[in-house]
Amino acid sequence: MRRLSILFTALWVLLLGFALAQQTAAGTNISNQASASYIDSAGQARTTTSNQVITVVQQVYSFTITPDGIPTAPGQTRSALPGAQVYFTYTVTNTGNGTDTINLATVQDTSDNFDFSGVTLYLDANCNGRVDAGESTVSAVTLTQTGASASACIVVAATIPASATSGQYGNLNLTGTSAGDNTKTDTNNWARGTATTAAALDLTKAASPSNAVAPGATLTYTLSGQNRGGSAASAITNVGGTGLSGILIQDVIPNGLTVTTSGSNPSGTAGAGSVQFVYYNGTTWSTTLPATITGNGTVALGMVITGSGAFFPQNASYTFSFQATVPAGAAQGTTYSNTATLLYNNGSNQTVTSNTTTNTVGASYGIAVGPNGNPTATAGADSQTIASAISGQTVIFTNTLRNTGNTSDSFTLAVSGAPSGWVCQLTQTDGTPISGPIGPVASATNYNFQVRCAVPAAYTGGPVNLTVSGTSVSDTSKTDPTTDTITTVTSGYAVDLAARGNGGDGNPANDNPPAQSVNPGSSANFSIEVVNTGSNADTYNLTSSVPAGWSTVFYPDATCSGVLASPTPAPLTSTGLMNPGAANKKCFIAQVQVPAGAAPVTSTTNVTFTSTSTTLGSVSDSVTTGVSVNLLQGFAFTPNRSGTVTTPGTIVYTHNLSNTGNAGVTVSIPAFTSAYGWTYQFSTDGGTTWTSSVSGLAIAAGGSSPLQVRVIVPGGEPIGRQEAATFTATATYSGGSTATSGVTDTTTVVGGDLRLTKSAVSYQGNAETTVRSASAAVANPGDRIVYTVVAQNIGTGNLTNVRISDPLPAYTSFVSVSASATGFASGTVLYSTDNGTTWSATAPGTLSAGQSIMVGVDTNGDNKIDASDIMAPASQITLIFKVVVQ
Amino acid sequence: MKPKLLWTALCALIGLALAQVSGEVKLELKAFRVITTQESGKTSEKLEPALDVKPGQVVEYRLEASNTTDRPLSRVALTIPIPKNTYYQALSAQPLQYKGGLTVPEFSFDSGQSFGKAPLKRKVRVSENGQEVEKELEVKPEEYTHVRWVIPQLGARETVVLTLRAVVR
Repeated sequence: MRRLSILFTALWVLLLGFALAQQTAAGTNISNQASASYIDSAGQARTTTSNQVITVVQQVYSFTITPDGIPTAPGQTRSALPGAQVYFTYTVTNTGNGTDTINLATVQDTSDNFDFSGVTLYLDANCNGRVDAGESTVSAVTLTQTGASASACIVVAATIPASATSGQYGNLNLTGTSAGDNTKTDTNNWARGTATTAAALDLTKAASPSNAVAPGATLTYTLSGQNRGGSAASAITNVGGTGLSGILIQDVIPNGLTVTTSGSNPSGTAGAGSVQFVYYNGTTWSTTLPATITGNGTVALGMVITGSGAFFPQNASYTFSFQATVPAGAAQGTTYSNTATLLYNNGSNQTVTSNTTTNTVGASYGIAVGPNGNPTATAGADSQTIASAISGQTVIFTNTLRNTGNTSDSFTLAVSGAPSGWVCQLTQTDGTPISGPIGPVASATNYNFQVRCAVPAAYTGGPVNLTVSGTSVSDTSKTDPTTDTITTVTSGYAVDLAARGNGGDGNPANDNPPAQSVNPGSSANFSIEVVNTGSNADTYNLTSSVPAGWSTVFYPDATCSGVLASPTPAPLTSTGLMNPGAANKKCFIAQVQVPAGAAPVTSTTNVTFTSTSTTLGSVSDSVTTGVSVNLLQGFAFTPNRSGTVTTPGTIVYTHNLSNTGNAGVTVSIPAFTSAYGWTYQFSTDGGTTWTSSVSGLAIAAGGSSPLQVRVIVPGGEPIGRQEAATFTATATYSGGSTATSGVTDTTTVVGGDLRLTKSAVSYQGNAETTVRSASAAVANPGDRIVYTVVAQNIGTGNLTNVRISDPLPAYTSFVSVSASATGFASGTVLYSTDNGTTWSATAPGTLSAGQSIMVGVDTNGDNKIDASDIMAPASQITLIFKVVVQ
Repeated sequence: MKPKLLWTALCALIGLALAQVSGEVKLELKAFRVITTQESGKTSEKLEPALDVKPGQVVEYRLEASNTTDRPLSRVALTIPIPKNTYYQALSAQPLQYKGGLTVPEFSFDSGQSFGKAPLKRKVRVSENGQEVEKELEVKPEEYTHVRWVIPQLGARETVVLTLRAVVR
């Protein structure tokens, strides 16, 4: 039974909904736009929309006048004394889709007993079925499509002729014509007025408000009437089955309305008799009223004017009034129509039906926005929280909107409160962005949507409170916010740089790679690894901090072997994109290149490697290690010299002290004690000052210093005496270590006065363009060395058979030899490569290892050098001998 | 648990980034007023451009969807909303016959949030013998809000035409 009732209710609501659904208003734009989503050939999801088509709704004209009736079956019947007025009540309703004016007229019937006189139309502004003071006459009504002005109540007052006899009647028709479309008419609204001298009670019904009502509003119904007949009205015994004797006014409560009874509800008065309220539960009447009566189309409220016999006199009147409440959830367009009936006796039992009041529920708009699935959450619960979010990612909240109005509506959504830099977007639950209003959403229906916020990489902290609000498009005063909260945003970016094997273990103590030691001009390889310990994929730049002049090159180590791959892979400066997690680590070889000549250093902290996020520059990690540079010793004291000296005499040998190591040295040479009392002196400033020993001579790394040795031979030394003096130079490095190198100068006392000096210059490469060493202290393979040997007669007498010999040095190859003579009166320079056996005026083109070149000046023209060849005082022979280092 | 969350978020991000508006599919929507005339017992129908309509008249929407590229596109979902102030005329959205395949229209009654084949069902809770029970009620075509055809593949340079009718309320 109950199920059936539910079904009927649903059906009723549905029928009502469709039958009374309003037409779309004239001038409304019907716009439509299609959309497509698809996967393109690259596998990308894409969307597109069509053009928008707009169709304008035109006006249609339509109206009704009720109640309907034909002359033989009039829609309403009124009785009155001959010569008195009767009042017919009509409702004119606009059923078109725009404002229209309905022209009204009345027609008298020709087949009845009489015509009415003084027929007048009144606009019944409060729809109470009577002509009240101030209500004006009308001939046309202008009605809007919707709202209270969509219908009008009309009272037609007409006077029954005084000559009419009791029981005669006249018929009257109210006709209407649409001003917008005069083919639209309503002409079947006949009513009947009957002349009577018997009692004639009438019944009119008024509703306040008279037309549109809001959901939840209170309606006041007033039923009233008067005995307009010529006699008193009589009671009916057990009137209407109430068990009471009297006159009954009864009203079936419209479906859905509720009446809450109390002391003043219902209320009523009567001009005679007394008043008793009664309730009909669908089966029986009772004088006990329930606290709440819910209309279902059957239950009724009534008022009995109790009395007996002809107790209700001429002109006596009565009023019966009660209040009913419209359901809060009433759908737009729901109508509440109500008609009351009156039972009395005027010789026979009479039933009078009142005019019908109709109240239509207007549109009410409402919205609730709340957490997912709970749109109507109230303060305190009207929020949802994500405890923790990660920067660089998107936070998604699902919210639910509910249309709490009684008609379908569209809604605009907004989100505010996002911190600077956040990008928050409203989307459907499948991620499609929402642009413009959503909907229409049917009444009492939920709509889920999402708020998607891209949290910027640099944002951390919180809480972040996002206010998400929805607003009715139809009534922008209807808006509801909810709160989506993110309690904390933690950084999604972190990196760990560590020695290979130790990345991402959370232990910073083992991150630094062990320090290394290298020679200058070589490099140290460090095996390191990078782990993305954040939550988002990221790329890291690799940089280093090394002493000035050094450099670092990073190589990939794809297999994490710790060894630089061969062939050497291309160097890089960033890691490339790395996914989070230790499993996705990447290994690198950081090669620290120490330049040649770098000073020795011992350090465990002079090298730092850093990985820096390219997304968020503040995210980086560094490891520190050391590269120590070994001390390289390279100290040389060259070359050995030999010379001849007269007695007394002096000879100066030029040497070179060179430091080819990577650290500065301090050089000392102790005094040399001659076995023959000769004096040995040193000069480090090109011969300006002379000292017996050398100390504190500083030579920078890679530098050199000339050193001259002067040998002073006293007079009286025997000819042929020879002394080989060996000088040992000690180079002391700043760290305290020492290196020594020595030269030996061999000095021979000669009787004559021929002095031999030999000097050499080395050049870079086998040419004489760029000097490598002015003293030939240094020469590389391939370099040329030019030796210059000068023999000079420094005595006062002639010298004879002067031969100058110089061997081809070991590890060199002969380039050329030439000799010249100055101070000779005449003579030819002769060359010998066989130690003086044969002579030639032409310089030899070759010279083999172990061979010597010998030159002399042939002054007597016999093409050989012998005792008859004279070298005069002050004359000199210069031999230039060029070799290349093998 | 956490990595899963992360991946979900990451995928969501990618999805968001990839759903781009493009011009590879050209959509042209046209509206026609359906004029039905009865002549000597024969009903004939005429389509006129629907610049204006009156309540109760029928509007036919025709959507021409063209793949403007030289490659096929897949999972092409073409959606025509039922405009406000109109209701869907039952059975007016015809299945699409395309390349031997049949694409049946799907309908939505919740503003395009979900689609299904007709008839749609709505779950409601009603009180029965004092107990709340969930029941499935059929959704009337008049309540449909969107109609959609999902074509598995739309060939290069191909065009399909879809139609449906709506009645002006």
